[in-house]
Amino acid sequence: MLSYIVRRILGTIPVILLISLLVFMLVQAAPGDPADLLLSDEATKEDIDDARKRWGLDQPIHVQYGKFLIAALQGDLGTSFRYTDPVVTMIVDRLPATIELAVVSILIALIVGVPLGVWAGARPNSWIDNVGSFVGFFGISMPNFWFGIMLILVVSGYFNLLPSAGRSTYGVGGPPITGFFILDNIIHGDWNAVRDGISYIILPAVALGTNMMGILMRVTRSSVLEVMHEDFVRTARAKGVRDTVVLWRHVVRNALIPIITVVGLELGTLLSGSIIVETVFSWPGSGSLLISAITSRDYPLITGTVLTYTLAFVIINFIIDILYGTIDPRIRFDK
Amino acid sequence: MKPNRRFIGAALASASLLGAAATLSPASAASTVVVGATETISSHNPHGDSISMGYGIWCEVYGCLGTYSFTKGAYVGMLAESWSVDKADPNIWTFKLRQGLKRHVDGKELTSEDVVHSITRMGTDPQTRQKQNVKHVKSVKAIDKYTVEVVTKQPTAPLLEFLFDRVMITGKDLFDKHGPKVADRQYPLGWGPYKLKEIVIGQRIVLEKDPASTFAKPENPDTLIFRIMREPEQRVTALLNNEIQIAQFIPPHLGPRIKSATNANLVPTSSVELMFLAMSPKKKPFDNATARKAACMAINRDAIIKAILGGQAERLDAPIGEGQYAYNPADAAKMKVPYDPAAAKALLEKAGLVGAEIELETPVGRYVNDKQITESMIPMLNAVGFKAKLKTPEWPTLWANVQKGNVPFFYMGRGGVVDPSPAFAQYFETGGSPRIGFSSAKVDALLQKERATFDPEERKKVINQAFAQIVEEQPACFMWKHKLLYGISKGVAYTPNPTGKVWGSEIAVK
Repeated sequence: MLSYIVRRILGTIPVILLISLLVFMLVQAAPGDPADLLLSDEATKEDIDDARKRWGLDQPIHVQYGKFLIAALQGDLGTSFRYTDPVVTMIVDRLPATIELAVVSILIALIVGVPLGVWAGARPNSWIDNVGSFVGFFGISMPNFWFGIMLILVVSGYFNLLPSAGRSTYGVGGPPITGFFILDNIIHGDWNAVRDGISYIILPAVALGTNMMGILMRVTRSSVLEVMHEDFVRTARAKGVRDTVVLWRHVVRNALIPIITVVGLELGTLLSGSIIVETVFSWPGSGSLLISAITSRDYPLITGTVLTYTLAFVIINFIIDILYGTIDPRIRFDK
Repeated sequence: MKPNRRFIGAALASASLLGAAATLSPASAASTVVVGATETISSHNPHGDSISMGYGIWCEVYGCLGTYSFTKGAYVGMLAESWSVDKADPNIWTFKLRQGLKRHVDGKELTSEDVVHSITRMGTDPQTRQKQNVKHVKSVKAIDKYTVEVVTKQPTAPLLEFLFDRVMITGKDLFDKHGPKVADRQYPLGWGPYKLKEIVIGQRIVLEKDPASTFAKPENPDTLIFRIMREPEQRVTALLNNEIQIAQFIPPHLGPRIKSATNANLVPTSSVELMFLAMSPKKKPFDNATARKAACMAINRDAIIKAILGGQAERLDAPIGEGQYAYNPADAAKMKVPYDPAAAKALLEKAGLVGAEIELETPVGRYVNDKQITESMIPMLNAVGFKAKLKTPEWPTLWANVQKGNVPFFYMGRGGVVDPSPAFAQYFETGGSPRIGFSSAKVDALLQKERATFDPEERKKVINQAFAQIVEEQPACFMWKHKLLYGISKGVAYTPNPTGKVWGSEIAVK
């Protein structure tokens, strides 16, 4: 196991390096100059040249990349052209909001998608299967930005049930501890702020989690259907074990591997998928930061944020691989 | 197998939690006004950004020398009490500061040293993005405690346009003592009506009224919050839910939702953003002035304003419109380019340009209904004999190409045109910028003359002569100014500003 972990960690190094090179080159190759975009309409050619020099854009690209890489290895991802703050600080400030949103979205997807999938798989062609399939296809086919706008229109606009945008009400909640608003206020014991945070996170989390919920429902259904026909299920039934116990103790446990794979893959997708949802809901996470970085060609911020997402993907996949062995003892990492 | 009861219980518990959360409504103090804004300040450094909203906010926090009053049609002082230009040497400007202005928190009095420091810092701060505002300034010095002398490189009649609500007056003592970073972040103290309470970049900016300020009025909100809400749908919904009291820049198609609301009004205001079609005389077929004239005559601006902009725009007969400095309706009427497709067709035929291929480039989503507008222009251009196509590059790509002068034909806006001098020098004076690639000795001479003319009435005449010459040579067709639509809560009295800045000191809580 230990050697597997070491091998995996070593294997991620070239991946990260390659992605950093790709992102750096692609960002530089994209048309549009940060100095043109970030300076005023009235900036003169001299102002633009000054800014390019200040940001190191007057140097050859391989020199720029070399400097970036050396600094990155020391934990410095540069300084944002637009915000003039260190990129690392900005990402650390914004990432908790994105993770908080992704976690709540996953919870919603798991709480709704897995049970629906299990019931649908256990009772194919029944009413619950039809309902589950409808919910599943709805989730898969609904673009999250459109669904988000519809939620704002209906839930906030028409029924006025939940706030339409933002992360919390100004003045509510204690000082940040971890950066996770809800968790911080649980620690503070400020339940009013916890409720406030929940009221703000519901809509974006539903918009973001619906797609994953649909996928999870479909995968769980297929996996349960497959396992339901295994010999051990028939044996358990023949021994008189109750249907509920057979389903939740034997079938679901054996159907978990594909579900975990999907959760792992989707968790990464949720982080990157939040880019659009964060914009729609003015959610102050790293996704909306990335959008603003792209539109202003803020090279250090784009590269830093994309690298952070890459790292998150790698770590999530790594954890999922380790989990496989815990859930299915047949899987070994020695070779 | 039936759905598990425990699951149903959990679902009910979740629903009750949702319900509990739903009963929460955002806290609203008696005198708090929340503005749903579209832009964010991206730096704590007041010179670190160059956006309209930012200038307005910083001006109310730190204070600025003055601003343009659209109601008076003239510049009015804020920290500056008066100003004058030396009659013998028009390069020398003298600004007299108000006396006795006390800074937030520590009560330090405003002095000329602070103004000198701020103008200097704007040009030299490594993070500045406002250098262009001091490009005409050769030197600045304090004459006495309340008098500042600014010397320009050449006579610059529109100097106030550059210095008034663009140079934020920050404390020299705080800068010297703490350095820029600490001073900007921890001691954002100024002489304006509002104190800066919090900036969460990309989320909100919170200002708190300084009741002791000369510029604050009792009816102004005690707390003014700018919430960054880029989606128009979101701003409208938040306004109708009373989450915010002022919603900026409502697109025309969402106007009816506010009109039918019981808690808010839709308030249109004129803007100072000029929309135009630029045609580069350096590129074919626009190197031929006839092609430029024909293109301008081919566009039915009234129909576009009515059908696509829902009437929420003012047609520009001259390069500028009502409310802008030097606008003269009589001169504008003479400059009007008629919609005359038959004449446009005849012009093209005469010049042998029928079938000339042109490609109109437009940003998408940057200006109100920009894509729909330019889509409607294509058949109009084709109808007079052009072979027109529409191109919709991503904004950074388009802008980079426009900046380099690589786009022959584009639809664009130029915001912040109060005194038109800087914008027109930039677009139409030789060497101003390569964007349009236009060069005319006559236009150059007139633009230079207006900058050196200090008598306001005489200067306005010269500006209009320059406009007439530009319209004659037609490197651009001036289209319209959008009306800015604001959603404003009925609990608040506010007349929106044409520049798009939101001034807390002009908001009254009813």
